[in-house]
Amino acid sequence: MNMNDMRSVERIVNSHAAKIAAQNVQVHYGASQAIRDVSIDILDRTVTAFIGPSGCGKSTFLRCLNRMNDTIPTCRIEGLIRLDGEDIYDRRVDPVTLRAKVGMVFQKPNPFPKSIYDNVAYGPRIHGLVQGKAELDEVVEQSLRKAALWNEVKDRLSAPGTGLSGGQQQRLCIARAVATGPEVLLMDEPCSALDPIATAQVEELIDELRANFSVVIVTHSMQQAARVSQKTAFFHLGNLVEYGDTAQIFTTPQDSRTESYITGRIG
Amino acid sequence: MTDLAANAPAGGRASRSLLVPSARMRRRNSAERRFRSYGLIAIVVSLLSLAVMLSTIFRDGASSFWQARLEFPVTLDAAVLDPKGNADPAEMAKQTTVTYGKLLDQSFAAILAAGGIDASGLTDKEIGAMVSKAAPAQIRDRVLADPSLLGQTITVDVLAAGRIDGYLKGRVTRETAARDRNVSPAQLDLADRLVGAGLLAERWNWDFITGPDASDTRPESAGLGVALIGSVYMMLLVLVMCVPVGVAASIYLEEFAPKNGWTDLIEVNIANLAAVPSIVFGILGLAVFINFLQLPQSSSLVGALVISLMTLPTIIIATRSAVRAVPPSVRDAALGIGASKMQAVFHHVLPLAMPGILTGTILGLATALGETAPLLLIGMVAFVTNYPDAPPEGFLDPATALPVQVYNWASRSDPAFIERSNGAIIVLLVFLLAMNVSAILLRRKFERRW
Repeated sequence: MNMNDMRSVERIVNSHAAKIAAQNVQVHYGASQAIRDVSIDILDRTVTAFIGPSGCGKSTFLRCLNRMNDTIPTCRIEGLIRLDGEDIYDRRVDPVTLRAKVGMVFQKPNPFPKSIYDNVAYGPRIHGLVQGKAELDEVVEQSLRKAALWNEVKDRLSAPGTGLSGGQQQRLCIARAVATGPEVLLMDEPCSALDPIATAQVEELIDELRANFSVVIVTHSMQQAARVSQKTAFFHLGNLVEYGDTAQIFTTPQDSRTESYITGRIG
Repeated sequence: MTDLAANAPAGGRASRSLLVPSARMRRRNSAERRFRSYGLIAIVVSLLSLAVMLSTIFRDGASSFWQARLEFPVTLDAAVLDPKGNADPAEMAKQTTVTYGKLLDQSFAAILAAGGIDASGLTDKEIGAMVSKAAPAQIRDRVLADPSLLGQTITVDVLAAGRIDGYLKGRVTRETAARDRNVSPAQLDLADRLVGAGLLAERWNWDFITGPDASDTRPESAGLGVALIGSVYMMLLVLVMCVPVGVAASIYLEEFAPKNGWTDLIEVNIANLAAVPSIVFGILGLAVFINFLQLPQSSSLVGALVISLMTLPTIIIATRSAVRAVPPSVRDAALGIGASKMQAVFHHVLPLAMPGILTGTILGLATALGETAPLLLIGMVAFVTNYPDAPPEGFLDPATALPVQVYNWASRSDPAFIERSNGAIIVLLVFLLAMNVSAILLRRKFERRW
């Protein structure tokens, strides 16, 4: 009881600052360690970019934040990750509820092989967020508008989602994630399969989403990190090397490894 | 040219003209041509074997769908068939097929006389033998079903004897008839005259498909009805038992089960079960379902249980590979927006895997339909002339199955049964074809176009 009181107080204090607080997170895949001792506070209504060379653990850490790693049997996670002060790895937490709050957009656009409408409506339907067709229509429209896709697809909502172009598909996936009303949106290299024009659209979209959500984006493109994020975290060999304001990371990095990476000497 | 030669790499690889293939290139090309011709030969050989097999079956079996029938009027003498004259069915039932047989023989002889058909040199008995032994029972059943026919003259349409049918189909000739106790060349002459008079003709024979089996002496009336019903019952039961169990098992193994030693063991065992010879399942069925559980032998239920055991591994393997073929990104997408594992499987994975599951299941069922060996051991090879009842009670009634009927007829001595055996194979092939076509159609229907 006492514990719960503490938490509610903490939540009020942290609501403007940290949305997700990770402390001493270690991730093991079988015998190999993928993440070493990562502690980070991810802020609300902020875009946070995770950068680092391939295999540095940034995607792994991202997938810890909505427990998508639970689906990998050999994966073992230690440490504490709190969303609004609540431990997301607590035994009482159902990952399904967590994932409704912490949405995810994947590297490769993966719309369901259903209609555009059904793609967006799926989340609200399974979570019982809406009553009736009219309300669902409204949620679908709003989500597609937020994903800057509404004008392109409003006349063909019953067309298959997989028939869209790559950039449109990725925005559809974003609309789908937004439709469940998440508080945090995790994006795992969302633009790596897109052409520059589609990338620009998605980046613009990410900037708009910042008004409502806390966005965490994993990216291989430092230009992209610089363009869209306010906070940047640099990962290297499973360690969080440096975390700070994006401007500061890209202009005056504190760590020599960060400097080497952003100047292209390691990676 | 000299310049080119001078520019050749130091390794000594002289530049060659594109127009002249090198020896090495020629060898590679001829190897490729050889391989392509092997493939072509393999396909031609298999198509030829298929063509030979099918044409043999159709040549020998297609005629079983036509049967020689005699059509002539018969006067149902009330004094003979109902001696007490009270039209009481119980009393009339006392008149056996022997009485009806005599009546039929007399009517037939009378028709020959009236029609001026020369039957000289044949005894009345020999003339009567032109008509199938199944005919008296047919007339008797008709009269017992409708006693008002007594005293009337009705036109009957009865089977001709098997040898006469064989003569019309070319199976029996005068040479074979001379050596055959059952038929004489004189009877064949009479058959020719009957055909000329329009009394005897080959006609489409529904009874072959719907009628029950008949004894060795009456090949002309043997039909597939009981075997067809038995096969249909078994397929229904196999479908009901196998599909839910198989699909549930595969989904559990593929999506939910932890990957450990136990699941590996189960996987190996399923693969092994799929390779166990079918006769072993027959012995198992005999021991477990009939001797231990005391289920009635020869019943379609036991047959279906045994065949289910055989088909389950096939269905599980097909379903697992269909489920495995669904891209993981679909599961990620569903889980990523907060679908539970079960919702991800039932809303997204299963619909995508459906074409594969259906194809695997129908092909498994098609194999099961043609399965013979285990059914022999559980008594489905019995001579069954009574139709099974309607389900569900009918599942416990004795029945046979199509492939068993083929086996059964093929082992009888009268050549007329060889024709029927081939005819039964045609029916079986039509069923298999129908199942495979439905597999393709269902696949098309469920396959997402996007």
